[in-house]
Amino acid sequence: MAIYSLKSKEVLSNLTAPANIDLGAMIPLMTTTLSSNATSVTFSNIPQNYEHLQIRAIARTDRAADTQDAINMRFNSDSGSNYSWHYISGNGSSVSSGAGSSASYIFNSVIGTAASSTAGMFGVSIIDILDYSNVNKYKTSRVFTGNDANGNGLCQIYSGSWRDLSSINTITFIPNVGSNIVQYSKFALYGIKRAGA
Amino acid sequence: MAYTYSKIASVTVGSGGASSIDFTSIPQTYTDLKVVLSTRDSRSSNGPGYLKLSINGSTSNFAYKSLFGYSSGPGDPNPSGTPAAGSDSGSGSSGNYASYAGGTNVQTANSFGNNEIYIPNYTSSNYKSISVDGVNETNGNYPYQNHLLANLWSNTAAITSLSIIPGSSPFLQYSTATLYGIRAEV
Repeated sequence: MAIYSLKSKEVLSNLTAPANIDLGAMIPLMTTTLSSNATSVTFSNIPQNYEHLQIRAIARTDRAADTQDAINMRFNSDSGSNYSWHYISGNGSSVSSGAGSSASYIFNSVIGTAASSTAGMFGVSIIDILDYSNVNKYKTSRVFTGNDANGNGLCQIYSGSWRDLSSINTITFIPNVGSNIVQYSKFALYGIKRAGA
Repeated sequence: MAYTYSKIASVTVGSGGASSIDFTSIPQTYTDLKVVLSTRDSRSSNGPGYLKLSINGSTSNFAYKSLFGYSSGPGDPNPSGTPAAGSDSGSGSSGNYASYAGGTNVQTANSFGNNEIYIPNYTSSNYKSISVDGVNETNGNYPYQNHLLANLWSNTAAITSLSIIPGSSPFLQYSTATLYGIRAEV
């Protein structure tokens, strides 16, 4: 279809059909910004035509009497003991590490702030899940997460595994201790393409 | 139309395995490079799943510092056998390491390492700084689960080819890698 200039009365260019437009490698798929507290955040019906997924989150929970709360991650609503995770963590004065196996979620995919943190402070996270639709692989997540409460704070790298060959079509985030992920928390899901796609 | 984040090339390892993953004839039109890897190598004894670098065909002039976390397990560098974190470095003939979390054939079946290599200003006439973050997973204890690494390639040439080499050759079937170009301006 031609784009016609009414001013110069000439054809400027041809409109390319949407299917022919290359939007680059990183495509925003879904975004959830909480307008009120929620017990969980879920991405459903995730398109299967990308190579990897990335989630960027900024979040806080209502865990009482604490400045931090983990926000855990599950895939395809699987709550069985099919997850494991490992981490290294720094708090500004020391380094620690830990692990969990045969767990029912991937622990702490977002290290959110909690009710005792100053209002307006949120934790942040970048989660990369490679080959999320590859049925020959268990799904491994790589997480950078941290928060700073002007005193308390954590900086962490996490690995997580979901021992299931199924393609990921749903991702759910659940507070570890608090009842809710609170208002203004935001989770954004991106699809990452492979070359040739 | 130029985009800030573009896919350049992808590799999927077939049933015969691969002694390296190679990106050649890298376009010089981007600002930074990023490689995302999901790999498993043929190592059959407990220990790190190394990923090593070769740039423009050379494994020389590299040096790195790293931070890693590990849980207790056979081959664990922490003799007390409890989860801990550590740091190390390498140079000279041992300088071209990119990660200890590349995934090995000892870990839980079907599990692959998850790594990202970022090289800013890869066409500049300065030395090249390389940032790597990587993880691998197993349902239990295993050394080197999480790894952060900073490497310096002391060479002023623009990067035209990049190879990732497994610590224990070959990379196994279903290992994947994709090279992306990042533009500072559209």
